[in-house]
This record gives sequence, C-alpha cells and structure tokens, in this order.
Amino acid sequence: MREVYEAIVIGAGHAGCEAALALARKGHKTLLTTISLDAVAFLACNPSIGGTAKGQLVSEVDALGGEMGIIADKTTIQLRLLNRGRGPAVQSLRAQTDKVMYHTEMKKVIESTPNLFLKQAEAVKIEIDGDKKIVTTAVGDEFEAKVIVFATGVYLDSRIIIGSFTENTGPNGFKNAKMLSKSLKSLGYKLLRFKTGTPARVNRRSIDFSELEVQKGEDDIQTFSFMTTHKPNNIAACYLTYTNPKTHEIILNNLDKAPAISGEIVGIGPRYCPSIETKIVRFADKDRHQLFLEPEALSTSEVYIQGFSTSMPSDIQKEMVRSIKGLENAEIMRDAYAIEYDCLDPLQLKASLESKLHEGLFFAGQINGTSGYEEAAAQGIVAGINAALKLENREPMIISRSEAYIGVLIDDIVTKGTNEPYRMMTSRAEYRLSLRQDNADLRLTEIGRKVGLVDDRRWKKFLAKKKKLEKAEKILSQKLKIDEKLKNFFEKNGENVPKNSVSVKEAIKRSNIDAFKVDEEYGVFSGFSKAIISEINLIVKYEGYLQQQEEDINKMKKMECQKIPSDFPYKKQKGLKIETIQKLSEIKPENLGQASRISGVSPADIAVLSVLIKKYKEKNIGKE
Amino acid sequence: MKTIVALSTPLGKGAIAIVRMSGEKALEIAQKVFSCKGEIKPRYMMLGSFCIDEVKEKCLMVYFKAPFSFTGEDMVEFQIHGGVTVARLVEERLIKEGAVLAEPGEFSRRAFENGKISLDEAESIVDEINSESEAELKVSLSSASGKLVGNIKEIQNSLTELLAEIEVSMDYPEEDEYEDVRGKIFDVLGESLNRLNGLIQVANEARFIRSGVNVALVGKTNAGKSSLLNALLGEERAIVTSTEGTTRDVIEAKSDIDGVRFNFYDTAGIRESRNKIEMLGIERSKKTLNESDLVLLVVDGSEKEVDDEILKLINKPFITVVNKSDKKRVLKTMPNEIEVSALKNKNIDILKRKMYDMVIKKKIDFNGVVVSNERQLGHLIDAAKEIKEIFEKKNESLEILSMLIKKVWNELGKITGETENEDIIALIFSKFCVGK
Repeated sequence: MREVYEAIVIGAGHAGCEAALALARKGHKTLLTTISLDAVAFLACNPSIGGTAKGQLVSEVDALGGEMGIIADKTTIQLRLLNRGRGPAVQSLRAQTDKVMYHTEMKKVIESTPNLFLKQAEAVKIEIDGDKKIVTTAVGDEFEAKVIVFATGVYLDSRIIIGSFTENTGPNGFKNAKMLSKSLKSLGYKLLRFKTGTPARVNRRSIDFSELEVQKGEDDIQTFSFMTTHKPNNIAACYLTYTNPKTHEIILNNLDKAPAISGEIVGIGPRYCPSIETKIVRFADKDRHQLFLEPEALSTSEVYIQGFSTSMPSDIQKEMVRSIKGLENAEIMRDAYAIEYDCLDPLQLKASLESKLHEGLFFAGQINGTSGYEEAAAQGIVAGINAALKLENREPMIISRSEAYIGVLIDDIVTKGTNEPYRMMTSRAEYRLSLRQDNADLRLTEIGRKVGLVDDRRWKKFLAKKKKLEKAEKILSQKLKIDEKLKNFFEKNGENVPKNSVSVKEAIKRSNIDAFKVDEEYGVFSGFSKAIISEINLIVKYEGYLQQQEEDINKMKKMECQKIPSDFPYKKQKGLKIETIQKLSEIKPENLGQASRISGVSPADIAVLSVLIKKYKEKNIGKE
Repeated sequence: MKTIVALSTPLGKGAIAIVRMSGEKALEIAQKVFSCKGEIKPRYMMLGSFCIDEVKEKCLMVYFKAPFSFTGEDMVEFQIHGGVTVARLVEERLIKEGAVLAEPGEFSRRAFENGKISLDEAESIVDEINSESEAELKVSLSSASGKLVGNIKEIQNSLTELLAEIEVSMDYPEEDEYEDVRGKIFDVLGESLNRLNGLIQVANEARFIRSGVNVALVGKTNAGKSSLLNALLGEERAIVTSTEGTTRDVIEAKSDIDGVRFNFYDTAGIRESRNKIEMLGIERSKKTLNESDLVLLVVDGSEKEVDDEILKLINKPFITVVNKSDKKRVLKTMPNEIEVSALKNKNIDILKRKMYDMVIKKKIDFNGVVVSNERQLGHLIDAAKEIKEIFEKKNESLEILSMLIKKVWNELGKITGETENEDIIALIFSKFCVGK
C-alpha cells in the first residue's frame, strides 16, 4: 500500500526541518524522512549558530515564521555581537549553542506539529508520474505526494576520509544515502562533488585552560528571534589558542599523508573553510593560526577545536593537537575528518528553488552546493513555502536581493552557480546597509504573513512594533529649545552649539551625538525599546546613504521587471558573444536583472540583450 | 530602410578618400554612376570611372553583398582621390540618385541592429566615424585596442585589493590580524585619484584633438579682440570697428595649430551697460567663458588702466595678450602675458605656440592610453569626484567607506566592463587566511 501525502521532505537537517515545518504549518500533510532520527537538526560541525551574515539569515528565517531562531535562542549557551565597531549593518549575532539540546528541541517541535509526520527511512528512488511523485525507501515502502523537497545535506553518496582510511558514511558515522544520487542522475540532473571537513573533539578535562585567553558572552544584547523574550543564557566560555612552528613542522613533514593535498580527495572544498594543512601550505608566511576551543554542549565534555579541521591520519592528528598550547595532554574523542558528497548544480533551479527540469521538485540546503546551517535553513523555509504555494496554486515567493540575505543567497546560487560550498558573507550583499539583523522583522514579517506562515501572535507583536516605530519617527521633528541645557549638551559632546532651537533629528545627525544620547539627556524616547531607538538612530544617521541605495535598488528592480521569455532563442541571436549565448542559454535567466548578474555577462551584453528581447517580443506580438 | 551614404575617411587630408553606401539600393545607385569593364562581383575591387556631370573621376569600387558587409546590408565603397571637393561632389551625385546622407554613427547602428557588432565595439566605431582629423582616428583605434581599459583595470584592481581587505575585516571579525585597514584606505584612494586625474588630463587632450579647443577671447571693449582674432585666423572674420561695443554676438571661428583645432569665441566687451542688446551680449560672454578650455584676455598695452573685474571673472587657464605692441607700452606687467600686435601681425606665431603648449601639456602618445569618447571620460570624472568625496567622510564607519569605494569601483567598471563582485570575494580567500 502506497501512503499518500501532499508533500514529502527528504532529509531532516536544518533545511529539511524548516521546509517540513513550513509545509505542515500551512496545513499540508507532510512526510519528513531522515536516515536517522538521531540526526534530526544535528549540528554536525561547530556548535554555533550565527556569525557575520549568517546571523542575519537566522533572523530572516525567523521573520518569515521559521524555527531556527527560536531554537537557537532557547539553546544558546553563549551569545556575542560581532563587528561592534564597524557599523550597524555588518553587526551580527553569534551564539554558542548546546548541540544536544538543539537537536532535542527541534525534534520536539517537529514531533508535535500537526500535519507533520517524521519517519526514519532512507529514500532510494524517485519516480515521476505526471502530477504524482513517488518516493521508494530502502526497505521498499512507497510514498506518494505532489511535491517533494530534497534536503539531503551531505549524505548523497558521501564518504569520510581520515588519512588513508576512508569509509562510505555520512557525517559523524551516520549512514549515508547510497542510491538517491543515481536516481537523481537518471532523472537528468547534473551533480557536482564537493567536500568539507570538521576538526577533532577533545575532552575538556584534558585541556589546560590556565594560560589561554578566555572569551565570554555579552548579556545586554538582542536575540535571534523576534518572539524571544528571555535574556541570552551566557554560561559558557570559549578559549583562544594558536598553532605554532612545531605544529606547522609536523604538518609539513607529513604532507604526503594528507589526502586533500596528495590527491586522494577529488571533491572541491570551500576556500573559506580550508583544512589546517591547506592553510599552512597556502599561507606559508604565517607563523601561527588562531584556534577557538568551543564547548559542544552542557551535557558533554567534548570540546570543538575551531580552525583545525584536517583529514590527516589519526596518529598525526594527535601529534598536531598536542603541539598546541593548552592541548599538550589532549585526549581526542572524535577524530577530525573530511567528507566528500554529491550535490546538485544549483543552476538547474529557479529562484523559487523549484527544479527547472521537473515541476513540483524543490531542492534546499547543502544539496544545492551551499554550506552552513543558516544557509540551509534559509533555503529550507523558502523551498517549503514555495512547495506549499505550489500545492495551493499560488505564485511562488521570490525574495529579492534588496530585501534579505535569503534573496542574495538564492539569487547567487541559481544565477551564478557555485564551484565550491557557498557560504554567505556580508560582502555578497550589495544592499547590505538595509539588510541588518535588527530589522529582519521589519523587512520580512509582512511577506511571511502574506504567504501564510506568520501566526497571529507574531503578527500582533509585529504590528505593535511598527506602530511604535511610527510614533518614534514623529518624535524626530520635536524641537529641542535653545537654552543652557542644550548648549551644555552639545558642548559636552564636542559639537558646535547651535544658534537656534534644533529638532531631535538634527541633533541625532551630529556625528558625536546619537539617539541614545538625546534620549538620555531629554528622555524623548522613554517607553521605547532599545531596538526601536537603534532603528531610529540608524534611519537618521544613514539617511543619505540609504537614499542612494534606494536609487540603486529601484534601478535593479526596473531591470527585474523586464522578463525574458522562457523560450527566448539565444542561439539564434546575433550581436551577442558566443560565450554569452552559452551562459544565457544554460542558465535561462528569468529577467534582465538576473541576466546582468551572470558572471561574464557585461553591461554591453545586457544592452544588446535588451534590444534583442524587445525585438523578439515585438515580432511575436506582431505574429499574433 | 533608406540607402545611406557618407564619406568615411577624414575630411580634407590624405591621398585617398572613401565614400560608403549602405542599403537595399546601394548597388542600383552605384550602377547608375559608375562604369567599368566586366560585371560587378561581390568583394572584387573594380577599376572604373565615376560620372560627376561631364567629368569622369577615375576610381576603385567594391561591392559587398548582404549579409557579408560591415552593416549586414548591401554596401558599395568608392575609393576616390582625396580632397574635400571631389568627395563632396561624389556624395552629392549619389544623393541625387536616391541615397540619403547618413546620420552620425548610422553605419555602426545598422551594423549593431543587424547583429554585426556588439554595443561596446559600436561605441568606439561611432567615434571613429565622427573623427574629423587624422589624429582623432588614431585615438579611436588605440581605444579600440583597449589600452585605456587596461589602465583603468589596474586602478580597479588596487581598489579590489583594498575592498577585499576591508571586507575581510568585516566578514571575519574574529580573525585577529585583519583588524585595522582604515589607515590604508586613504593611501590607496589618494594614489587612485592621482592616476585618474592623469587619465582625465590625457582624455581632455584627446578631446581637444577631436572637437577642438574652445578659446574665449575676453577683454575690455576696444582692446582689439576682433583684430587679434583676424590675425589668428588669417582672414577677415569679425567686424572690426573702433566704436566701443560693436561686437555684440559671440562669434565662432576655427583655426588649426599643429593639427589641433582651436575654436574661437569672441565676446562682446564685458562691462556694465544699460543698453539692452549689449547686456544680452555680456550674459553670453560669461557663458562662453564657462564653456571654454582656454581664455585669451586681450588688453591694450598702450592704455594705463586695466579692468580688474574681468580678471576676476576668468576661471580657466588663460594668457594675457597685451595687444598694440606697435604703440608705446604704458601698462604694467600682466600675469602670463605675451606682447603682440594684431594689426602688424607681430608675435602671432609665438602666441599660437603658447596656446598649444597651454592645453597640450604632454605630447600625446597615440600608442599609449587614450580616452576616446565622452562616455568614458564622464565615468572617469565621476569616479574622481567620488573619491574626493570619500576624503570628506573620513570618519564614517567601515561599512559606509566600503560602500563608497564600491561605488567608485562600479563607476570604473562601466569602462572596463568588470562588474563582478566575485573578484573581491575571490581575493579575500586567496589573500587572507580565514575560516574555521
């Protein structure tokens, strides 16, 4: 007997969980399969959520009605705000999370969500029968649904490598998915082979912390989720240590045993997450590399050595680890390993994350060639929402680059593809001034509401915040009377004393004064939350820059309005360079804006293309 | 589509001139005016004669059959003897037979529309067509070979490196050694600005060669501006009278100095006036001054007084031409002066040399970098302006500085065609050791 669902999500990692929750919460009967129930929302690498640009992603997933932010806040054991001195837009939260709790809490939410059915099963075959998609599992069960979301992470035909030892498994000894790659290939999908890695875990009791620099959390900061009301649970400490010439010597003496360098590993690894041996070879002039010791969870003594991922043989690993200050007697509990896996060339996807090859198939997370929990969750929620909208016969939700890092992420991978595991960075976002972590709710809650994922509780809270913000904006025009107090206030802050009364806004505009200082002196924003005052401050301080950015955004949106017919015959067009034709016909951009972002497509090409499309459209209308 | 015709070689100079025709009727029209032995075959050079009324001009003719031509249409080219007169007569005859004079750049535009050339090539060719002197042709050719692009790319690359360093410090705030880039930012920007200014200077000179140098003649009424102009041109051009304020209109005249064209704009004497017509002339004079590249301040050496008000108005490079050197000099020494006598044609050649040297500072190296069109120059000027603005915002946060530098980068990208953000990200990973 074939079980019938509306949707099937394959894989219950960070992408799969968000996708399945979005589908089920929107009322669709959803099956969520996972190779192991113990691997649900597993933090397979570092025990941390957030970081630059990634923190923004988490808050964006949250604003759309996702789960990651809530669980991250709940399981935080240390929270910090990065980039304090470099401007508000690049500030991001980074949390050390308890990886045991994270898994447990997310699993609890999944288990208790109506319409959602979590099942341990390995999908081995996909069949497409018109509208029906049939998933067969390793034990021979068949499940049917109209839409499928693939969120298989790094499990596709994966193998781990430790020195000369290699084994066909998924991360952390979990089983891998042996058959699904083949099934995808037979459906016509082009697969890539990527690799990534993770460092060793050592026992806390074996570390000598006495001479290491400690790094603690910060209390008075915001959290990931708009719905979180509690303060971060800052109880864990991280420690800082470094590699040294001895470490480097050990590595260099054993390079022949490093699979990444000897050629044993063929998969393409991320440039931003190099193994320690790669770092030492490529940056030979650096005499030390920074390492962070991060606690994996409160319930375990395992400590993660950030910055020290390797695929060296285990005996060399031990030597390497023990050459480091504080780790002289370290007991390695889990060896570091590299992992190779199959993933999809994301150029085969539309901006909705639906396949260009088959209607109703969606892909999200590491299977799309990305890396990171946050990137996975971001795609998961988009794929889940769009799969649901598909079931509802509604237009897909496409988040633009100017609205969110989610938009940047998806546009990047479906437009440019990727030749290494893709990591989100603030430098990828051209409109980052408006893509701040603290305004993710203002940017996306309305979209989340429109697609039906933002519940009443969040919506009410959001409307209240918006109202407050409008009220606070009105305060900006209030006058501060010219008197001794004002004079003193300006003088105290090293600003020229004005001749007449000034508005609150004018005061905030001064470079040495901000909204918080005005509030402190005059109490104009009493009763407003810190988040709102900070928003107001930014709106005033960055007014000119935000306007500039707005102009750029409008230009881009105009280009995006120029749709390219999906059957546009690039190959018959003259005036375009051959390479350009090849790229365009491979990627089939949905509009001129997307076309302009394809690498190697020049503004001149776009000018030509716009003429050609105009010609083509006119001709075809003429025919009708 | 009409059949168009135009002279496609520089006007006036050279032993051979080429007149091109493009369009459906090109061959038909050609056959009416051109006779030769044998049948006209595509892509064959035919020797024959072109009939201009009673006169037969011996010339070569080539026929390109569509779509195998520059424009993608039927095309005919006549290679005739150089010189303005012959070319003009040939054009006129072809027009009489049904061709129309091509709009500027129309050949290229048609080539573009027919998919023969890409837009960026078209831009350079448009300049080529419009070129009026040999020098200009050299400029466009050199631009087509992309030397300018290479130079701008170098500036762009140094900004890419700078941006990578700024970005890495923001994207990897926990990496200890990429902390402070602020100090470096303004060094790199300063150097980029210097290089841009150099290119802009070269560009201006290239523009002088193409469109000519605009010279404004200013000075008190009756200082002898019109006579000087006549002396410079070597022909009667402006009305010369001794009644104050007669030269009411801005008069335009052209003259060649060493192959560079100088466009002269004579102005009504700048002085307070109640006369309405003259007021109008004065307004125009001020405008002319603003649009000029070089100003000739003409003063009367035999007079004691000089109008200092005029000096204040000049905001461009200028030469003080102390006229009437045939009379006794009573005027004090003037800034950057040269004594001439317009009437006696004395020192006029030296003045010309000085004018040339004032605007063409370096001898333009045609094999070097040149900016061939206004669009490119516009982007260079904008980029330089944007850098200057960043210097006024030294205290902004890194994210803002990065945004402003990226704007400069994008501006330069409009010339080089490099618009990829990937460059910066690639550099972050190749130059810096980051990541877990």
